[in-house]
Amino acid sequence: MISKISVRGVSKSYNSNAGEVLALQGTDLEIRQGEFVSLVGPSGCGKSTLLYIVGGFLAANGVVQIDGKTIIGPGVDRGIVFQEYALFPWLTVRRNILYGPRVRNLPPQQCDEVADRLIDVIGLRNFEHRYPRELSGGMKQRVAIARMLAGDPAILLLDEPFGALDALTREAMQDELLRIWLEMRKTVLMVTHDVNEAVYLSNRICVMSARPGRIVKEFTVNLDRTRTREAIVLSDEYNRVRNQVWLSVRQQASTVAAAG
Amino acid sequence: MTGKGDEQANLVRSYALSTLSVAVILIAWEGAARAKLVPDLFLPSVSAVLIALRDEIADGTLPIDLGVSLYRAFAGLLLAGVVGVAVGIAMARSALTRWFLDPLIGVAFPAPKIAFLPIFILWFGIDHMSKILLVAFSSVFPIVIATYSAAISVNRLLIWSSLSLGSSRPMIMWKVILPACYPRIVAAFRVAVPVALITAFTAEMVAGGGGMGATLMYAQRFFESPTVFAYIVTMLVVGLVFDKAMLVIRDRFPSWREFN
Amino acid sequence: MTRSITDAAIRLSPIAIVLGIWQLTASLHWVDTAFLPAPAAVGRALGQLLSGNEIRDNLLVTLFRALAGLALATVSGVWFGIGMARSWVFNAIVSPLVGATYSLPKTAIVPLLILWFGIGSTMGIIAVYLTCLLPIIVQTYHGVRATPAVLVWSAQSMGAEERKILWQILLPHALPDIFTGLRVALGFSFVVAISAEMIASTKGIGRLIFMYGESGSYDFMFAAVASVVIAAFFADRALLALSTRSLRWHESHAGANPGVAA
Repeated sequence: MISKISVRGVSKSYNSNAGEVLALQGTDLEIRQGEFVSLVGPSGCGKSTLLYIVGGFLAANGVVQIDGKTIIGPGVDRGIVFQEYALFPWLTVRRNILYGPRVRNLPPQQCDEVADRLIDVIGLRNFEHRYPRELSGGMKQRVAIARMLAGDPAILLLDEPFGALDALTREAMQDELLRIWLEMRKTVLMVTHDVNEAVYLSNRICVMSARPGRIVKEFTVNLDRTRTREAIVLSDEYNRVRNQVWLSVRQQASTVAAAG
Repeated sequence: MTGKGDEQANLVRSYALSTLSVAVILIAWEGAARAKLVPDLFLPSVSAVLIALRDEIADGTLPIDLGVSLYRAFAGLLLAGVVGVAVGIAMARSALTRWFLDPLIGVAFPAPKIAFLPIFILWFGIDHMSKILLVAFSSVFPIVIATYSAAISVNRLLIWSSLSLGSSRPMIMWKVILPACYPRIVAAFRVAVPVALITAFTAEMVAGGGGMGATLMYAQRFFESPTVFAYIVTMLVVGLVFDKAMLVIRDRFPSWREFN
Repeated sequence: MTRSITDAAIRLSPIAIVLGIWQLTASLHWVDTAFLPAPAAVGRALGQLLSGNEIRDNLLVTLFRALAGLALATVSGVWFGIGMARSWVFNAIVSPLVGATYSLPKTAIVPLLILWFGIGSTMGIIAVYLTCLLPIIVQTYHGVRATPAVLVWSAQSMGAEERKILWQILLPHALPDIFTGLRVALGFSFVVAISAEMIASTKGIGRLIFMYGESGSYDFMFAAVASVVIAAFFADRALLALSTRSLRWHESHAGANPGVAA
């Protein structure tokens, strides 16, 4: 079966003042349809870079294929949410969400249906005509997610989506994301520095080495996610996997410390 | 997408291209003038302009005119600086002063100060004084506003700790407040210097009384195109020189970082 | 409602006070009224001029030149600014020219423009155009360059192609900076239009002010100057109101308050 996302031999280097910096080296990754994969690793290991390459925003060496076809740039099959929300400040909540459908010239009635449904899903009906500057961080992130979903992409790319939120809001958003994924079964690739979050949400975790980054270890997570958060987080399986992943990331981080 | 390094390689090519652009224009100008594509009156050749420039420097007209204009511009600037900083600080310290001057500045700031030239000429004649005062009138506003906004944002803690260390009020003024305002005042001067030059030149063009502007108009009335061009080029160079000088001043005397 | 009226009255009373002192010095003959006509006399003259056509006709000429030049400069300035921000080649070729106009005292080209175009509106509009071009180019360039990559990427991932990115992402992002440039350019437009008229013109408020000065009608001269100051003030206010409305969404807008916690 063809992978949904196929990354083979991808490497990326930057030109900086100090010369050429290798951010990613010979990375391979295969993701199947419907998987929720998290990329974790020490700071600067290139996990966001890899995500952007999959998204088509950065050029790189190697092969990146979606459904067996090499990508040539960004596409509507891959939606993205950034840590900084990246909402268009000059558009209201509703218009932000409608940006994708409008750009693709969907008929107005269909646009409205999509917008109404998503605005209710994220629970911001009372704020649909407000501007982003009037929203809190959690609200902005919900709008960003809704905006991504409005385009109905097959793949969701998330770059530390909850990193800027406080702990309580973060947990609420994680549950929300989990619910959406369980319902829609889209393919998700998420970058996070929070190991707990990775274990809670994903069924596969890839640990990346320090720069130049590549995937050094993979963990499969088999949790029954239909249970409550309390049941999941307090379970033995959760904690076993969490400890393993945490240790692995620490090992990679300490190579940075040893080298630096 | 280009990375930082690509942009740096482009920098060298940018400079080359910019120099090329200027060279092409100069060559085209000289070519068009020599081929008499355009009457001499409208476009004297570069060489004719350079000859006029040389002659006027040699016989002293240009240096004298330039001296007169610069004297007026900088005398006015000095006056504007002293008055502007004093008023700005007074407005920061006294609510009464602020209340009184606020609407006056609000009305005067957007007004085209050159419209007041005939009034100044009525009061002070067409020689130096009217022009110096008009220059001061034109340049004082950015300085007042910059000083005021800098003075009111001087960190309270800086002032209080100085007070508690036994500084007297005048000392605080000189050692704490003025240095803290310094960067914004310098920035305001960078705006005020071109304003002063333009005002001095324009006042001379309108009302005569010696200086670069007066001779420029004289040359235009007698259709001496090379001189017209030569004087404009001189003004351009003078403007460039003083702007670069302002940048050097700004970088040579860096501000103290704000204490947080 | 009454509170805002009294607030406005308090804020504007210094102007009344200055006018009062001015009137006093004139009435008490502390100053020769030939040099400084009393506000009452200036007011009378202003009334006379306004009831006739002098101020209206000339002021309109000046406004036309200033605003026409400004409008042309805005359209081409934004175009240049965007071009320079997106193409380093275009930037390299054009920026020495832009830099040159930065240092050149703008009214210095008026004599040259007179040589080429004679005196009159064409010369005035071109002078205003060349002057206002710079702040708009600089601000547009700055605003477009500063567009965060994540905004462009988000739009691209939703299917927006080059043209849409330009009009729907880069331009709106640059709008606050463009308005800043516009406010500066508006000030320039008045100064250059009036300067050009004073240097050589047969019409316009600048010419009118000078004419009254030369003929010794100082009441009328002061009245004409006052009319320009008032016109410039309201033009600036109008632009401010326009920019506030267009930039309702911007963070610096007063009244930004985050909603209830998520």
